[in-house]
Amino acid sequence: MALPLLWTTHAVADSDSLVVRAGRDDGLPDERAHSTITRSELDRRQPRSAPDALRYESGVFVQQTAHGQGSAFLRGLTGQQTLLLFDGIRVNNSTYRQGPNQYFFTIDSRTIDSIEVLRGGGSTRYGSDALGGVIAAYPIEPLFADGELLFRPQLQLRSTSADDELGGRVQVHLSGPIKGGQLGFVGGVGYRDVGLLKSGGRVENPNPNTPLGRYPLVPAYAKDGVTQLGTGFKELTADGRLVLRIGERSRLSLATYHYLQFDVPRTDQCPPPYAPMGTCLTYEQQFRHLVYLTYEGKLGALLWPLRVSVSLQTQHETQRMDDPSVLVERRGIDDVMTLGLLAVGQTRPLALSQKTQLQLRYGFDQYMDWLKSEASRTFTDLGQTAALSRGQYINGSSYLSGGLYVDGTLSLPRRFELYGGVRWSYVAASADAEPLSGSQAVSQRWFPVTGNVGLSWKPVSILTLRFNADHSFRAANLNDLTARQQTGPGFQFENAALRPERATTFELGAVLDHSIVSVQLWGFQTLLQDAVLKVSKTDAECPPSTPECVGAWTRFQLQNAPALSELRGVEAMLRLRLPLGLRVRGTLAYTWGEGPRVGILGYGTSGVVIGDRVPLSRVPPLHGTAEAVWQYTSFEISAGVRWATTQDRLAIADYADARIPKYGTPGFAVVDLRSSVRLHERVQVLGVLENVGNAAYRYHGSSVNGPGRGFILSLRVD
Amino acid sequence: MMKKTLAGWGLCLLLGVGGCDSTPEAMMDMGTDMTAGQCVAAQPASAMCQPFSGALSSCKCSNDDYAPRFNGSKNDTWPSCVSDGNAYVLLGTSTPGASARTLAFVSMGTKLWKNAAAPSAAEMTAARDEYAVANGIGSRVARRQDIHYPEVPGSNKFACNDLTVAAMYPDRCAGPGKLKPIIDDAFAKGIAGTKPIVQSARIEASLLWFFYLSSLSEIWTSSFDNAPDVDSFWGYLSGTERSKPIGLGQYFQQLDQETYDRAFDSVLAARCWRDLDQALPSTCSLFYQRAANQADKAFTRGMALILRDRIGKIPTLTGEAQEAALTFVNIIGGLMDRAARAIDPAKADQLKSSTQATTAAAVNVGQAQSVIDSLFGCP
Repeated sequence: MALPLLWTTHAVADSDSLVVRAGRDDGLPDERAHSTITRSELDRRQPRSAPDALRYESGVFVQQTAHGQGSAFLRGLTGQQTLLLFDGIRVNNSTYRQGPNQYFFTIDSRTIDSIEVLRGGGSTRYGSDALGGVIAAYPIEPLFADGELLFRPQLQLRSTSADDELGGRVQVHLSGPIKGGQLGFVGGVGYRDVGLLKSGGRVENPNPNTPLGRYPLVPAYAKDGVTQLGTGFKELTADGRLVLRIGERSRLSLATYHYLQFDVPRTDQCPPPYAPMGTCLTYEQQFRHLVYLTYEGKLGALLWPLRVSVSLQTQHETQRMDDPSVLVERRGIDDVMTLGLLAVGQTRPLALSQKTQLQLRYGFDQYMDWLKSEASRTFTDLGQTAALSRGQYINGSSYLSGGLYVDGTLSLPRRFELYGGVRWSYVAASADAEPLSGSQAVSQRWFPVTGNVGLSWKPVSILTLRFNADHSFRAANLNDLTARQQTGPGFQFENAALRPERATTFELGAVLDHSIVSVQLWGFQTLLQDAVLKVSKTDAECPPSTPECVGAWTRFQLQNAPALSELRGVEAMLRLRLPLGLRVRGTLAYTWGEGPRVGILGYGTSGVVIGDRVPLSRVPPLHGTAEAVWQYTSFEISAGVRWATTQDRLAIADYADARIPKYGTPGFAVVDLRSSVRLHERVQVLGVLENVGNAAYRYHGSSVNGPGRGFILSLRVD
Repeated sequence: MMKKTLAGWGLCLLLGVGGCDSTPEAMMDMGTDMTAGQCVAAQPASAMCQPFSGALSSCKCSNDDYAPRFNGSKNDTWPSCVSDGNAYVLLGTSTPGASARTLAFVSMGTKLWKNAAAPSAAEMTAARDEYAVANGIGSRVARRQDIHYPEVPGSNKFACNDLTVAAMYPDRCAGPGKLKPIIDDAFAKGIAGTKPIVQSARIEASLLWFFYLSSLSEIWTSSFDNAPDVDSFWGYLSGTERSKPIGLGQYFQQLDQETYDRAFDSVLAARCWRDLDQALPSTCSLFYQRAANQADKAFTRGMALILRDRIGKIPTLTGEAQEAALTFVNIIGGLMDRAARAIDPAKADQLKSSTQATTAAAVNVGQAQSVIDSLFGCP
């Protein structure tokens, strides 16, 4: 039967009480340090990417190695030491490398409904990698108009001046009743073309004794001194989400998300320090495809609800290194296919006595990676191409990770709550030997047990005091065990004998929640056991048949630290809801990290006095944000400030890292002004004047300076 | 720099955890001046300087040359330093990449110019792969500067890395400006099977000149960019212990032991300077200049010997091998012209008439070798 499609503008339900997020009914664990970014905040801030959307979050510091990449630090850790989730499904795979990576960028921020950030270990529920925290993105859900047909097309157009971005997204919501339920769909297609990024100027080396002068070696600039070479990219996205509501208590979702990014230069390698102009490492293709089927239903007291997901995710990367110095083009192609199964359940609150309740959550998850990796070299003058014996990884490697967990909350008299959980995990990594490159076979098995426990107390109704202890882990992955690659600080080669790293976190929190004022204050200490560090190596320690290792200025191998590494910090957030539609919000975070000094001193440490214990790599400096928002009917204006102090606590590898100025990254303060106005019932214009002071600034560890003064203009029609 | 930030202290107080004050933070000690006495010439134990040996016994020595082989450096005017034991002690923590590039040069040689047969396309390709590997020889050829010429105008000491700039200043930017085009062309022709012996000689000559330039430029960059570059100076000469040279050092040694020894002495002199003057940028130009001059003289003499030797071989060869030798002489001879002209322009003209000859018959071997002996007689 053909359904009559109607435009609708009346109220629709965009929240679905049946949505079960990441194994619980309201997202990440409330009892832990966490925050949430809503769609309206994303619209207000107009982020350039999913990582960019986190810049105003408490305790989050976003580093960018390239304009088309971004990696969030949580409590001093990033990349493979933090876990990314999309609709509860693990995004991390076994190729995530040590240090910042680009993969959160491959979630289209325009498809996100909200992002939740859990700071601190989260392995009990989420398994490996959740040492520093968990970033969970949730997609936009279809809109439903109860019992009626709904058709809502939407158009978003956006332009930015600092990087000449021009792009947009077409999205459609379509829903209506069917026999026994309702069927809804939301889907869209997006595209953008992003040009070279203009900064506010060159960031300077903070140390006056720098032999090379005022400026860091990366990025390279155009003649105007502000346009950063090695930036810009193209992006194409497509997604569709079909939701079938079955009665009042069940729903089935079939969803697919596709992210295709083209021609992303890695800024610090375009060109690398000292290399001729024209030398450039470009991610020609950075694709991520995800398709999954999810069932959610409230089936009984012990399954209230149950969520089961089956997912298939692929990650495809084609890297091209243009090296005009030798008329060579090096190319690498890496593909990861991940099959995932996730089952999460929760009980109804079970009354143990009049004032005591117990609620349990439990789950099972398993992800299996299959890896293809190849590399080639082409003499560009002759067009002669030859395959290399191995790629970045060992072709045919596989990686299995999974586990079972149970955790629960015990509500006690006198406003006490006790909570905790335990998880048993299993991890298996396999890779064949590759004799020509001297690569060893890998066959590792681990069975880590992790857990957490916590206590909260509400002395008064608006104040909650919390104590948490968490033990999380990260199993060495295929990148650690098999990869050979050029990283920011130098050439890094594999260590097939790495052990899992473990983090034990203790945190104290005070949460004040009042209708006018909300305050969160957290202090934490994380002890990292067997922390994986980048350790400088001599040429004699390079793997055989690896001349690019022997010839490199700096060589590194990942190695388990022989002693504890430590991270300590504080995170604070203040939110005020004032009269006349005025809201004020501020955040502040500081992390201090230190580990044992291991291995020789590497390149760039000449003249630097280094003790037996050294700072951990790229730990963010003291930083914070402030935002003020004033809303009047359909008009809103807001101002935001982002700031960071100088970070001159550097790890040994940081001294060789051209992304970090000598000897540290200077502090900054950047002001953004924003406004939005609804011109018509269906037309909204949003504008941002970013970096009002045209500050030259760089987030610590980034290759790219932040955008200079410019506008972001967005038009929404729906 | 020993400070701990206010936030750091606050955190320690907040969490009440130990160890907050027990850890020394990294300290920068850049630009530390050397103590005054270390940049002053020492009084030699004896006025007698290190005499030249062998065929060079008529050369005049100087106490200002670093002489670790002679009375443990006590008779020269250099203060005591790490090199006095007559062995190279690394400044950095690891063997420099330059040593790997010397090894790659040796390996390329077995496939190309030391190959008993004409190199095949596969051998040419394999050699080019060694040359073109990331951070290999080719990567450094493309940025190598000839520090005998004035720097490229402007504040960027590495402006030669830009190939367009290199094309504008080919003398200073000799690697990308002069050597790279020869090497790229030789590999392409060699792989295509066009006179592979000649192409091998072009590659050999260009790379020998690259190693010569590299040795000198590493002293220069050690003075302001990265002090351990002095290790690369050693690596580009040979990167081995003194008695077992490979690469450029072996070429020198096979032609004249004393010249090689003087070259190695200059490497030890540079290391001695970096021991006496650990500041970055360098604060002791006295010993920097002495080491650089000692190196320039010895290395230039070594290159002259290589040219002299190859000139002498031209009449003994025939066919493509002779053409290869002539091509080699054309390349090295052309590059030696600056040094020759700086000493005696008239003799430089005489030498040029042979080194730039287009036929073997046009090479006046006796005259050319005589001129070389007179211009570059002492290392």
